[in-house]
Amino acid sequence: MTVTRKSKPFLTPIILVLVFLVFLSASLFAQETASGISVAPPANVVASDFNYDRGEQAEVRWKLSSDDNGSAGVIGYEIFRAGVGSEDFVSVGLALPGESYFLDKDVQKGVGYVYKVAALYSGGQSFSDVSNAVIPELEMINWNLLNLFIIGLLIAASVIYFISHAKKGRKLFIRKIAGLEAIDEAIGRATEMGRPILFIPGINDMDDVQTIAGITILGRVARMVADYDIKINMPVSRSIVMTTARETIKEAYAGAGRPDAYNDDMVRYVTDEQFGYVAAVDGIMVREKPATCFYLGAFFAESLILAETGNSIGAIQIAGTAQPAQLPFFVAACDYTLIGEELFAASAYLSNEPKQLGSLKGQDIGKSLAMIIIIIGVISATISRAWGGSFFIWLSEFVNKISTIQN
Amino acid sequence: MEIFGTWVAAFLTLGIISFLYRDNPWYKVCESIFVGISAGYWFVTLFFDNILGLFWAGITREDPNYMLLVGAVLGVMMLLRLVPSIGWISRWPLSFVVGATAGFYLINYFSSNVMLQVSSTLLPLLSPGFGQPLFSSSLYDVVGNIIVAAGTFTGLVYFFFSKEHKGAFGHAAKIGIWTIMITFGASFGYTVMSRMSLLIGRMEFIFGNWLGMIR
Amino acid sequence: MKRQVPLLITFTVGAVLILSTFFPPVETMGEDFSLYFDIIAVFAFFLGGGNLIRVNSDAIAKKKKGWGFSMVTMAGFFIMLAAGLLKLWNPGGIRGDVAGTGSMFQLLYDWIFNPLGATMYALLAFYVASASYRAFRAKNRDATILLVAAFIILLGRTPLGVYATSWIPESFSILQIPNLAIWIMSSPNLAGQRAIMIGIALGVVSMSLRLILGVERTYLGVDSE
Repeated sequence: MTVTRKSKPFLTPIILVLVFLVFLSASLFAQETASGISVAPPANVVASDFNYDRGEQAEVRWKLSSDDNGSAGVIGYEIFRAGVGSEDFVSVGLALPGESYFLDKDVQKGVGYVYKVAALYSGGQSFSDVSNAVIPELEMINWNLLNLFIIGLLIAASVIYFISHAKKGRKLFIRKIAGLEAIDEAIGRATEMGRPILFIPGINDMDDVQTIAGITILGRVARMVADYDIKINMPVSRSIVMTTARETIKEAYAGAGRPDAYNDDMVRYVTDEQFGYVAAVDGIMVREKPATCFYLGAFFAESLILAETGNSIGAIQIAGTAQPAQLPFFVAACDYTLIGEELFAASAYLSNEPKQLGSLKGQDIGKSLAMIIIIIGVISATISRAWGGSFFIWLSEFVNKISTIQN
Repeated sequence: MEIFGTWVAAFLTLGIISFLYRDNPWYKVCESIFVGISAGYWFVTLFFDNILGLFWAGITREDPNYMLLVGAVLGVMMLLRLVPSIGWISRWPLSFVVGATAGFYLINYFSSNVMLQVSSTLLPLLSPGFGQPLFSSSLYDVVGNIIVAAGTFTGLVYFFFSKEHKGAFGHAAKIGIWTIMITFGASFGYTVMSRMSLLIGRMEFIFGNWLGMIR
Repeated sequence: MKRQVPLLITFTVGAVLILSTFFPPVETMGEDFSLYFDIIAVFAFFLGGGNLIRVNSDAIAKKKKGWGFSMVTMAGFFIMLAAGLLKLWNPGGIRGDVAGTGSMFQLLYDWIFNPLGATMYALLAFYVASASYRAFRAKNRDATILLVAAFIILLGRTPLGVYATSWIPESFSILQIPNLAIWIMSSPNLAGQRAIMIGIALGVVSMSLRLILGVERTYLGVDSE
């Protein structure tokens, strides 16, 4: 009998459809697990004006998505911005998981904006609600820098006070700086040997304060050179430095009553290129054999090349720079080195003028202030961390606050 | 062409190295070439970057920045140095540069090198965490923090100008200069290896590229 | 007039730049002044380049000692100027990028400028060795401290340093050279760097004030008051 066989043709397509549906739903399910389950959106998106700028920045803060818990569900955030009343949101930036802050640097002063933040997951984006409206404003004064202003004013005031109250005849004690005391001896040596002085004001231009410091010392050295009637050789790496150095040396010769002895060729431009300049200076050193070499200004890797070449010709070398990375080489290779601050003090020291020496006293006040803050800060931090005490906790936080610059 | 370039580079490389033995005509030629080529290079670069790229582009763009003309006027004043009768005008751009440098450096150095350095030194010497037992931090951290605070303090004492280095002040200054010498030694030792690697680079060029000896 | 106006300019520009830090509407003044400086520097180059040409052509004309080398310098200078300004061999022509691939400017840079600079830099390896040799003959306590610290840091970064003190037990691991090197970098080195940086900054403040207030005038070729 074949009656049951007649019902099978209906079953087959049904079974096939059922199987197809099972596979389809299975693959849909599989796709969803491969692409990730949707995550919760960020909440409480708040937009605010970035303080103390020209109105070109706005801040966006949000509460992290509840799925942002280190499980890699949330792979980041994307921040969107639109004008107030507009639905046209554009992406303005991204943030990493765990971050709840974004600084939008591309806004215009006086224009209203709203923001949305989307939590990103492998399947797409989960948007927050729209934030409040924010209008970036220009602030006239940056109050975040109040501590910088006050402390800077204190130190500047002490420098100015000592400069203006310096009286002739009342000499301020300044400790001896070996490198500067040796300048007389070094120039004397050049006079005895009948050989020139070489002066290198660094390889940076006049927009570096170290170069300016080198040129101010040049003024003092050039005066001695003019008095002793020896030759000064000054190859330079920058054209503006060449112009300035010529003015300085010319004035020094005029001040010594020997304006005719001055010659523009004492200062020569070589090349702006660091190692080209050094190659030329090395050549000058070994051919002209100066008795004394001064290296005073900004130096980089070439510092050791200069110092070692100077050693090979037996010159006295006096160096000074505020590049901390080059100081070790000068200290190791030169006879005398002005360490950092001493370079800036040199001109005042050599002038011996009360007003200039007064500024060194002001510098010392600044150092004292730094030292006092360090002592109070370290002691209060130590006591507050080890034993507590509300006064010490407050003191530690206060000292930290006044010495930290906020952006 | 490439081979010619390699030979030229090798000639120049060996010429510079010959200076280590003594000054010689080969080095003098290389030095002269370097000075000439590099001066020309920097003029061309400055011309295209600053005059055309910065100045000309700035005043001929859609929203011209005419303030750049201030720079041009100051630049021309600088050139007036060549005219003896009015050469004194060249001091004006110089004063501008010095004033701008002084003002810029004063604020920037003060905030980054004084304020920031001081605030970073305000470390607790003993336990690092609130409410932790007194000696819960390791000896390594404690000694380290003490050295940083004391070393910074005594280093500043060394640089004092208006007080003689005598007595207790003198002892503190001595510790300060020792700390500074350790700093210099550390910098020196740290840089030695990088200098060696520069030489290795040139040797690779000589023996590898030029002589083809190293594969 | 010749002396007062420059001092007034220095004061005004310096004061304006200091104050601009605290007032957002003018806080970009520092960047603007830096642009002016870049433009001034190019104009000034005519003076420097002119001096280079004058000195060397003078040596050539008067057949001074080494005048042949002056000719080489001049030739290099003018060839590089021509290669750059006229964009010789430049694949993009006169409108192409000055350092376009295959241009004479770029070839001169690759074949001449670069090897010369790299070799001068490489000389430091020899000079650092000779400086170290001199420092080995340290004659005072300060130099000895510098030397010992340099030695530890240098060894700490080499396999020899790791091997030399590997026998030290774990409880005294700080005395192993690599650990000692790390400690030196993070403690006394940091302290010294800070003291130097604070000192430098205060020196800059004092020097800048002297310049702005006109107490220091040597750079103008004017005696200080």
